[in-house]
Amino acid sequence: MRVKLCALLATAATLGLATPPATAEGPDILKVAIVQQIDSMNPFLAVFQSSTEIGRLMYDYLTAYAADDQRVTEGLANRWEPSADKLTWTFTVPKGKAWSDGEPITAQDVAFTYNLMLTNEVARTANGSFVTNFSSVTATDNQTVVIKTKAPQVTMLALDIPIVPKHVWEKVGDIKDYANDQMPVVGSGPFVLTEHVPGQFIKLRVNNTYWRGAAKIDELHFVYFQNSDAAVQALGKGEVHLVNRMTPAQFDSLRDKADVARNKAQGRRFTELLINPGAQTNAGEPIGDGNPALKDVRVRRAIAQAIDLDALLQRVSLGYAEKGAGLVPPVFGKWHWQPSPSEERKFDPAAANAALDAAGFPRKADGTRFSLRLTGRAGRAYDEQASEFLKRQLGDIGIPLDVRLVSDNQLNEVTTAATYDLAFSGWATNIDPDFVLGLHTCAQRPGADGKGGTTDAYFCDKTYDELYARQLSEFDEGKRVEIVKQMQARFYDQVPSVVLAYDNALEAYRSDRFARFTTQPAQGGVIMAQNGMWGYYGAEPVVRATSATSWVGWGVLLVGFMAVVLTVMVRTNRRQATAEERE
Amino acid sequence: MNGFNADGFNADGFNAARLLEHKAGVAGAAILAVAALVAVVAPLLIPADALDVTRVTDPPWQAPGAGHWLGTDHTGRSIALLMVQGAGTSLFVGLTAAVLAVAIGALVGVVSGHFGGLLAGALLRVTDFFLVLPALVLAIALSTVLPRGLSTIVLAIGLTSWPSTARVVRAQTLTIEARPFVERARALGGGHGHVIARHVMPSVVPLVLVNATLAVASAIVAESTLAFLGLGDPTRISWGALLHQAQLHGAVPQRAWWFLLPPGAAIVVVVLAFTLVGRALEAVVTPKR
Repeated sequence: MRVKLCALLATAATLGLATPPATAEGPDILKVAIVQQIDSMNPFLAVFQSSTEIGRLMYDYLTAYAADDQRVTEGLANRWEPSADKLTWTFTVPKGKAWSDGEPITAQDVAFTYNLMLTNEVARTANGSFVTNFSSVTATDNQTVVIKTKAPQVTMLALDIPIVPKHVWEKVGDIKDYANDQMPVVGSGPFVLTEHVPGQFIKLRVNNTYWRGAAKIDELHFVYFQNSDAAVQALGKGEVHLVNRMTPAQFDSLRDKADVARNKAQGRRFTELLINPGAQTNAGEPIGDGNPALKDVRVRRAIAQAIDLDALLQRVSLGYAEKGAGLVPPVFGKWHWQPSPSEERKFDPAAANAALDAAGFPRKADGTRFSLRLTGRAGRAYDEQASEFLKRQLGDIGIPLDVRLVSDNQLNEVTTAATYDLAFSGWATNIDPDFVLGLHTCAQRPGADGKGGTTDAYFCDKTYDELYARQLSEFDEGKRVEIVKQMQARFYDQVPSVVLAYDNALEAYRSDRFARFTTQPAQGGVIMAQNGMWGYYGAEPVVRATSATSWVGWGVLLVGFMAVVLTVMVRTNRRQATAEERE
Repeated sequence: MNGFNADGFNADGFNAARLLEHKAGVAGAAILAVAALVAVVAPLLIPADALDVTRVTDPPWQAPGAGHWLGTDHTGRSIALLMVQGAGTSLFVGLTAAVLAVAIGALVGVVSGHFGGLLAGALLRVTDFFLVLPALVLAIALSTVLPRGLSTIVLAIGLTSWPSTARVVRAQTLTIEARPFVERARALGGGHGHVIARHVMPSVVPLVLVNATLAVASAIVAESTLAFLGLGDPTRISWGALLHQAQLHGAVPQRAWWFLLPPGAAIVVVVLAFTLVGRALEAVVTPKR
């Protein structure tokens, strides 16, 4: 009996929690659902997207990307000047910016952060690639930082490194073991970390000393959810106010939901189909067991031509994506490349068939030419469904597919060991296209032991590599854009992979609590997972209604509680009754 | 087990009439017959294009109605057709996995019961090892490591669910071998082969049959579990795989109950039918229980 009572009381407690929170006067809190775990709050170690996103809220970078068009804008530094040889950069950190504990932000903090990364290998864990080309960083006075590089570096205004306060971090002994959890954590961003319970929630409060001006909300909470289904349900109930990374089905299910606004944004990710072009190590030794027929660029082109990208877009992505072309997604406007009508490979199975015949792979008696393996990740909705389409479409040109959907680890093994013919893959890209372009250079191919490179598609092409080297030292942006587009055109022509789609980022928020968020870019941009903190910083709460609603909330709670008490009493009586009857 | 030899199979052979006395068993058998018929015949009648996601033209997420009386899934395929198509895979995996499990179990049981000594000790320790391992965890581990496919699922289930059969069969073997007629057979010069084939097997086989029937039920549940977790053969439709797809493609936020309920109900009904038949068989084989 006692157990029963306890259980009932527990139910009552949860029922109480489940009733909509009373909207009494209080701080404006934005509650955001997150699914991905946090690997570290230490900005030198954090690599997960979730962690770096919170890092951006806590710490400003030297420069920032504007919300409306993602151009480089003021961060901690407001002016910068390269020398004529592009080897020396002078940044000015203006007076008047302060850490959340009131200490002024100076050039010394910037120099301290970069020098820590130059001298301490552990501090290079997360963002080391930005400083490998640095030869020295010095603060000539409190307002000026001078960075000298070994070779000209085009990404000098895209240094995505959180700048930490020197007066806090110079006391840190071992970066590796420093969890950065001295709450509240001293930072320079629009919010200050105040509480973090791993696996449950992260709480931040507004930084009133923020140099851009304090945000309009008082607190920002990140609440963990086991899966995105649960997060979407919580949004529907009003327990959280902002959810991202929704699947098309989840997004569709919120279409007619009252008090929920949806944001279909251009994403930074693309999904691709790797075609093993005859993988080799960086020494030119063959590696893996890709089908030799795929070494022939005519075969790869024919395969690409036989894939109906529009059908995949409509039926698999349910329209929540854009048709694939170049390596840089359209969200990055000027860097994005679209094939001209003469360059474009239109979906044409007949032409693909003819091309394969001409390439010396005629159909055999059973109507097939050669079979290929298609490797994808089991449990990823896109792979599971797109593989059915590819099976049909490539079957039509005489290439039967052996579909293998495997676990995450197995897929990683297969793609790094090049034991695939066709495989699903995908990358998230940055504003500066250098990273995603660099994935396809010869130097990124691994060594004989399978390590030492992060090639995406085992692509190695002299023309492409030459263009890559040229764009790296091209400081005229217009010219660099041209080279970057030529590289994408070359990649499209040689097809070591087919870019299938640029996935939309699907987000939704409670429109009854928040009037608007700042998206990046302004048109078709995202609220979460930005190159910046604008989404949270620009959140505008709805002007409060009168507090009458709160009485309704309490009333509901009271009625609920009474109902539970009543049930308990009735049940107790009934149990007694049956107990007597039994005797 | 006392009346086993006299009243059970050995004396009368398999007595069908006695099975008919168990009404629940008959009902279970009838359900199984229908399920088997559907699994065998229906795939021949379904047009190839109807289940091809690239060829279907119906809108997705249709609620049950006149066009599709169990609604459509996320791609516009008819759930009713998917259910029918999935029956074959679910039953096939259930049956073969159960046969594999019971075969291993019977072999280990008879060998360890008959020969005894060091061999039995070793076999029993292996059995104990598998008995204490959580079967589902082991099956998940196996199907993660091995390449995806039907055979992997069958192997994963078969390799994890044989120990209980081995225990039961060993106990039965020991009982039989203690009987005087086995001693007489030995005294008359009967070798291992003779004793096992002529005396042990006939009384173990009915037990194995019962065990197999019950094992099918748990194998079907195991297959559905693995498929639901996304560890099944992703290119084949089974009831568990349907539940997996429903979950993966957002049947819950879409509130598409018609995608979740039929596969679940089908699994329950078929598993129940196998259990009913198994229990009835058990009652016939061991009437005094």
